[in-house]
Amino acid sequence: MDKKKSKLSRSITNQYLLLVLPGFIIFTIGIIIPMLMAFRYSLTSWDGMSLVKEFVGLANYFKLFQDSAVREAWAFTIKFTLGNTILQNVFALLFAIALDSGIRAKKLFRTILFIPCLISSIVVGFIWLRMYSNVLPAINDVLGTNIDFLLFGNSSTVLGGLLIANNWQWIGYWMLIYLAGLQSIPSNLYEAAKIDGAGVLSRFRNVTIPMLAPSFTICIVGITTGSLKVYDLLVASTRGGPGRSSTSIIYNIYTTAINGRQYGYGSAMSISLVFVLLLVALFQVRGLKKKEVQA
Amino acid sequence: MARKKDKEPVIKQKFTKGTAVTQVVMTLIAILFATPIFIIFTYSFKTKKELYVGNPLALPESLYLENYVNAYKKLDLQYTFANTLFYTLVSVLLLAVLCGTTAWAIARCKQKFFKFCYVYFIVGILIPYQALFLPIYIIGYNLNLTNTRIGIILMYIATGISFGVFLMNSFMSTVPIELEEAARIDGCSVIKTYFSVVLPLLKPAMATLVIMQAFQIWNDYLLASLYVSKKQLKTLTVAIQSLFSAQASDYNTAMAAIVISVLPIAILFITLQKYFIKGMTVGAVKG
Repeated sequence: MDKKKSKLSRSITNQYLLLVLPGFIIFTIGIIIPMLMAFRYSLTSWDGMSLVKEFVGLANYFKLFQDSAVREAWAFTIKFTLGNTILQNVFALLFAIALDSGIRAKKLFRTILFIPCLISSIVVGFIWLRMYSNVLPAINDVLGTNIDFLLFGNSSTVLGGLLIANNWQWIGYWMLIYLAGLQSIPSNLYEAAKIDGAGVLSRFRNVTIPMLAPSFTICIVGITTGSLKVYDLLVASTRGGPGRSSTSIIYNIYTTAINGRQYGYGSAMSISLVFVLLLVALFQVRGLKKKEVQA
Repeated sequence: MARKKDKEPVIKQKFTKGTAVTQVVMTLIAILFATPIFIIFTYSFKTKKELYVGNPLALPESLYLENYVNAYKKLDLQYTFANTLFYTLVSVLLLAVLCGTTAWAIARCKQKFFKFCYVYFIVGILIPYQALFLPIYIIGYNLNLTNTRIGIILMYIATGISFGVFLMNSFMSTVPIELEEAARIDGCSVIKTYFSVVLPLLKPAMATLVIMQAFQIWNDYLLASLYVSKKQLKTLTVAIQSLFSAQASDYNTAMAAIVISVLPIAILFITLQKYFIKGMTVGAVKG
């Protein structure tokens, strides 16, 4: 009897296994094995062409710390990430609150703010390149003003220009997440706080913010990890320039591996980026989840 | 005692002074956000001459369609549009099947391997395939998958599956386990139970998954540029990128190309907004 039962449950498990395996295999071949390959290449001085991949140990990783190009790329990526995380969270939350109030034409506003994120990042980069270099200067001419709109042309303004482009693209997306969070807060919580004599600000601080904790987690982690991976946006807009002033980590991996023929070294950069991403996400999720529990 | 409201808690907010200010501010912001879209749209109908003289915010003098004709030719639209549509549809369909079955099996089986699978797929969300382009290309090249339709589709599945499994997994609690047990007692196999009992209940979740993935795959640039270089296999985004670099001065053709590429996905979004929003907000709302 027992034997029969275990046989049956094993056959059921096997059927479940059959459902998992195709996805498991594709995912392993497409993502996990490439990551292991990248790790293996990162320990060699491979140029991407030759048959021999000379083992060099951790030399590529030590090189990362001395390479000024890598340092610059990290500096740009971190500034871009911090700027996005702050600006997008603040504006997305503000817009969500505005759309959760009694204003008219909410649906129209929601759609307008959301549409940019449906556009591919390549295209967004190109649109803003044209905006800064052609459209806005032409508006200058019409108005007779003399504002410098050539943000992508100067290494001190290129970050700001890209932040505008990226915020234009993504604010609507995160706004919708905050909006859903806001709308899920039961209204009796607000009423109870009101009865206790809480003002608008105190209600915002003591009811809205804690109840939005899950939305904060998603938005902060999403924006940070998304910005650290920036690449597409740069391809059709600044191409990492002027100079190297808008070269992100992934962009730098490209130029190192493809143009510089240093596949091994480029792979070390890839692995370090994967490592940083996992670390950042882990820390953020843990920190933010702690807040969620307290709330 | 607080007054009790018998009606539903949907309160029609009053239109106060504060609301009026918000209304004005939001209107200005919406105009600011819409300006680039307005410009793409109007520029796509402008002649080359109108690009250099005249007010950039003015409407085009006439409905000049030459840009669209040019864009059609330069993008090889008869190939690229069909290719992008094909890759998107097939990948999304396969993703819907695979993510559903995988997430369900993981949710129902408590053995170690399935628990491991959950973590395995979730960690995948954080692994940036963008950073792994090189080995992704090499593995595809060695398996003879580059420059094939099946290759790029498999890559879209590999890069989309971890988020898909996470998404479907969070919907699994909405499927009552009793129904499955009843089907099992009636003699259904596991696989048949999934397709006849579970899948119909997952329809809203599936709709969400399909839309989320469709828009990412439609907009993908990196994988497509990596995997397909043959003209007959190219996608719209890749063709647009080469158009961008080729047409530096005559950019109204590029604007027409942008309209062509964004329109299908914008229509999809506007008709299926509800599901899209649901997919984005998974996990944002406690419950």
